[in-house]
Amino acid sequence: MSIVVQLLINSIIAGSIYALIASGFSLIYSVAKFMHFAHGAVVTVSAFILFFFAGMLKFPFWLSAILTIIFAALFGLLMNLLCYRPMRKRKATNAVLLIASLAMFILFQSLMIAVFGADIKTVRLGQISTGLNVFGGIITELQIIIVLVSVILLVLLWLFMKKTRLGKAMRAVADNKEVAQTVGINPEKIYNITFMIGSAIAGIAAVLIALEQNVEPNMGFSLIIKGFTGAIIGGIHMVPGAVLGSYLLGLVENFGIWFLPSGYKDAIAFVLLFIFLLIRPQGILGIKRGVNNK
Amino acid sequence: MILSIKDLAAGYGKFRVLEDVDITIKPDEIVALIGPNGAGKSTVLKSIFGLTTNYGGKIIYRDKNITKLNTSELVRLGISYVPQGRQVFSSLTVKENLEMGAFITDDKVLIKKKMKDVFAKFPVLKEKTNQYGFALSGGQQQMLAMGRALMQDPQLLLLDEPSLGLSPKLTKEIFQKIIDINKERTAVLIVEQNAKQAIKIAHRTYVLEDGKVALTGGKNIVNNPKIKSIYLGGR
Repeated sequence: MSIVVQLLINSIIAGSIYALIASGFSLIYSVAKFMHFAHGAVVTVSAFILFFFAGMLKFPFWLSAILTIIFAALFGLLMNLLCYRPMRKRKATNAVLLIASLAMFILFQSLMIAVFGADIKTVRLGQISTGLNVFGGIITELQIIIVLVSVILLVLLWLFMKKTRLGKAMRAVADNKEVAQTVGINPEKIYNITFMIGSAIAGIAAVLIALEQNVEPNMGFSLIIKGFTGAIIGGIHMVPGAVLGSYLLGLVENFGIWFLPSGYKDAIAFVLLFIFLLIRPQGILGIKRGVNNK
Repeated sequence: MILSIKDLAAGYGKFRVLEDVDITIKPDEIVALIGPNGAGKSTVLKSIFGLTTNYGGKIIYRDKNITKLNTSELVRLGISYVPQGRQVFSSLTVKENLEMGAFITDDKVLIKKKMKDVFAKFPVLKEKTNQYGFALSGGQQQMLAMGRALMQDPQLLLLDEPSLGLSPKLTKEIFQKIIDINKERTAVLIVEQNAKQAIKIAHRTYVLEDGKVALTGGKNIVNNPKIKSIYLGGR
């Protein structure tokens, strides 16, 4: 019984982290219509920025966290303004943008190794706690915070997209950029805002992950792969789909290692990704395009 | 004149479509633009709305040269454009579609009032307020696209083939709505394949051929032998 509870807790923690990555990634994908893999680099660089402020400069943690999140938003904005926008202006295809995003990913990952070194850094907040016992499973206070922050943030994002004028304009551009232009929406402005919001979420994820795990130059890679997988499983065109897929991925991964050696954890994710790409590429919540003359 | 186009040459990049086009519209008029496929009818609308490359000539809207303005500036000046093919935000609800029509303002009271006006004009949209765009029928989608444009309170409405793909009955209904909209002092420039119907509701008609104005006239243009043979073909 307690192992089931523990695996369930682990699934929810992993799912929460994946969901934070996947929501920003799929938000940017749905609006700008290309795979911004450099989103993973935003997580990595943000984690190092947190380490820089909190670990090296010894700033208070709350201040370091806020600075990190602001940095992440600006980092995403700059990626769009300095890389993607000039390319879009020259009518670059989405494949070109994807390759550019991979190039940026590698660039910033290497930059982190050059600046901070390849060794593992840690950012700790207080003592390492033994955790609380919940129905026979163990969960630390930090992990509870991760889950809570993740859920609250995702609900806020959903409300923002559903209720605010700006959120609706983002959905309008995601839906039909040309028509959005005809009502006076400037898609480039919406892209900027989308990159800022998506990257700020990645920054928040980076703060939480840096506390829970280690800060290392290649941390963004596995995270973006998981976030991407979660997004594909649930439906990359919509943020709720990506969130659902992420929690599902967390469940399958963690319950999978009940039967398989834990080294297969990543392999399970990839198998799931392949299955969905083959059988249901639009994801669980995705709607097949092609209906209604679209 | 609410709009006068003078010697306009326009197209897309290096691909020139229009040459020496002259069109005028008075504030209380419906003007139809007819002609064969590829004559450049839609390009005229797009050139007014800042969606083409304009090589020469001028577009004057209420004494202001708007030739170089971008879409969002034109919307603010009171020009609305309904593109071809029942273009709605399919993953947004009817209400959200209309709200987006009024994107340029954040005056909630005004938006509410505009929406009420649109619902009065298109009662079917009111019944479907919370339905998604993709769930509407073709005719309803066209009405939503027009309703969205009306949310901007336009003085000049540009309609690209509103009857495209609609049944004769629905076409008639849409055309009646256009007359109603015009009566509320909105000038309308309408591009249509359905020449006979368009001439009927328009005060004046321009016939476009190979990117040039070939013919222009009032309702009696329908009796012109050339029009009869080419567009109406005894049908």
